[in-house]
Amino acid sequence: MKKISLITICIATVAALVSCNKVRRSPGRAYMPDMTYSRAYETYASTEALQDQKVHYNAMPVTGTMAQGDMTWVYPYKNDSIGYIQSASVTNPLKADSIKIDMKEAERLYLIYCGICHGDKLDGNGPLWKDGNGPFPSKPKDFIGDDLMRKMPEGTMFHSVTYGKNNMGSYASQLSTVQRWMVIDYIKSKQGGVQAAKDTATTTVPKP
Amino acid sequence: MIPCKPIGQRLTTLFLSVFVFSFINIVSAQDGKTIFNNKCASCHTMGKDAIGPNLQGVVSRWESMDMLRMWIKDFNKAIAAGSPRAKEVVTFSPTSMQMFDGNITEDELTAVIDYADKWQPPVVQTPNGEPQKGNDNAVIFGVISLVLAIIALILMQVNSNLKKLSDDAEGISRPDPVPFYKNKVYIAMIAILFFIVGGYYVTKGAIGLGRQKGYQPVQPIYYSHKVHAGINQINCLFCHGSAWESKTAGIPSVNVCMNCHKGINEYIKGPKLYTEDGEEVNGTAEIAKLYKAAGFDPKNPAAWDPSMAKPIEWIKIHNLPDHVYFNHSQHIKAGKVQCQTCHGEITEMDEVKQASELSMGWCVNCHRNTKVNFNYTDSTGNRFYSIYEKFHNDIKTGKMDSVTVKDIGGLECQKCHY
Repeated sequence: MKKISLITICIATVAALVSCNKVRRSPGRAYMPDMTYSRAYETYASTEALQDQKVHYNAMPVTGTMAQGDMTWVYPYKNDSIGYIQSASVTNPLKADSIKIDMKEAERLYLIYCGICHGDKLDGNGPLWKDGNGPFPSKPKDFIGDDLMRKMPEGTMFHSVTYGKNNMGSYASQLSTVQRWMVIDYIKSKQGGVQAAKDTATTTVPKP
Repeated sequence: MIPCKPIGQRLTTLFLSVFVFSFINIVSAQDGKTIFNNKCASCHTMGKDAIGPNLQGVVSRWESMDMLRMWIKDFNKAIAAGSPRAKEVVTFSPTSMQMFDGNITEDELTAVIDYADKWQPPVVQTPNGEPQKGNDNAVIFGVISLVLAIIALILMQVNSNLKKLSDDAEGISRPDPVPFYKNKVYIAMIAILFFIVGGYYVTKGAIGLGRQKGYQPVQPIYYSHKVHAGINQINCLFCHGSAWESKTAGIPSVNVCMNCHKGINEYIKGPKLYTEDGEEVNGTAEIAKLYKAAGFDPKNPAAWDPSMAKPIEWIKIHNLPDHVYFNHSQHIKAGKVQCQTCHGEITEMDEVKQASELSMGWCVNCHRNTKVNFNYTDSTGNRFYSIYEKFHNDIKTGKMDSVTVKDIGGLECQKCHY
């Protein structure tokens, strides 16, 4: 009788051990917490405690400063229908300063940030559209086949990338000013140097 | 005078025209979808309102087909013609419709209106994916060894009993057998076994203190890397762009999510989703959580104010102790290491878990084995390495065939601890 109960206990223990959930939901403990957890503010750490100490930190760049490696050129127009028309007159400031654009880097940026919708071949058929089988609800613009896009002035493209257009969001937080111009130059070079007609903005007439 | 054709000739013409027209009809019915996808799909989505309104059953909403056609070609003309529907629909969106006059033929127009008007939602067939089960081999082996151990014990008892019986039958008297729990050999064996097994687990637990391999927290929103990075092939850097140029890989802010999810407001096309605990997840409800954080109302997208968005408090999985310095850009930009080398097959993970140990031994092993792209003379190489003159000479003379991270100081304490 004793033996049977012993065996039962053994089996029960093994069963209890194996039925434990294998998913690890807790980070576990550390040897020396003071050397593991930073006392300084780490990236993405909550800054709410600073508020109590009357330090007002809002993660926004200080007005009048610029990011390292970015350009002093500032896009002059606002995000409205007037700005959209005016954008047609803007030209690539990198070319005006005759800065050589690293096309390989521009291609890398295009493939990461634009190709996902507009396609590796710039045909508006990226993995998110996939001939209408992808998750995205509206067809991305075809840079190569669509005459409208071929003739679109680079300034208008810059306006759309900066502020977003229709279902496309703003990419100003992911691409710096220089990078946006690099990507636009890449698209224009792939389109085969079609000269931008100044009056193409009239094809999509903004409402009065 | 009306020319009179023979009846046979008339019939032939009739048949021919019927044949030709039916053929044209077939072509246009097929083409409607293609034309729609090429010309309309940028703004119109079938089945729901997008930048433009939902076009299902569009004909019934217009007072006449002519007016609808006029609207598509040039919406200003339709408004000028006094169409009540045109005046109503022009206020639908701040973006006005593209004018297709001269851009679309009459036949194409007929085909595309026909396609959009008669469109029906496809019957969605979601494959019945089962949640993946863990590896059960360990359990099976455990049960088998337990059973074998019990059998061995029983056999040993049977053996000693039989021996006792045979001794009794032969009349040999032996001292009373010591019961197995008082047998010193048994006790010694069990003690050694306990020491080995216990020692193994104690050591393992002690080494594992502060390490988080397999850590898989429940995130505030069920975000599947498998769906985003795997099925939809979004580049890692699209969201974690700062990994390329800074120490931190970066967790995307809400506006990066909203760049795509302003348009994608439901999860219908992908496989079924499950948590690690096997519960089914409603993808559309998870997107709604994002909208709540962003303060976005999918029914009224124009009213969205991105500046009112609240950050989502994602839980950081890969934590290094404060006394270790790690830089992402150094590894992925200069070192050209793939994300998956350390983070595992992220594209297969619904809920991300820490795939690597992130221990010092793990770092050092990789630094010992990884070869540096020393070939800086072509455009793929890193020009920084031109300063290692001795190594270049050694490679030229054949003393070395490759340079590892260790050779250029990858094992120096101060590289990571300072």
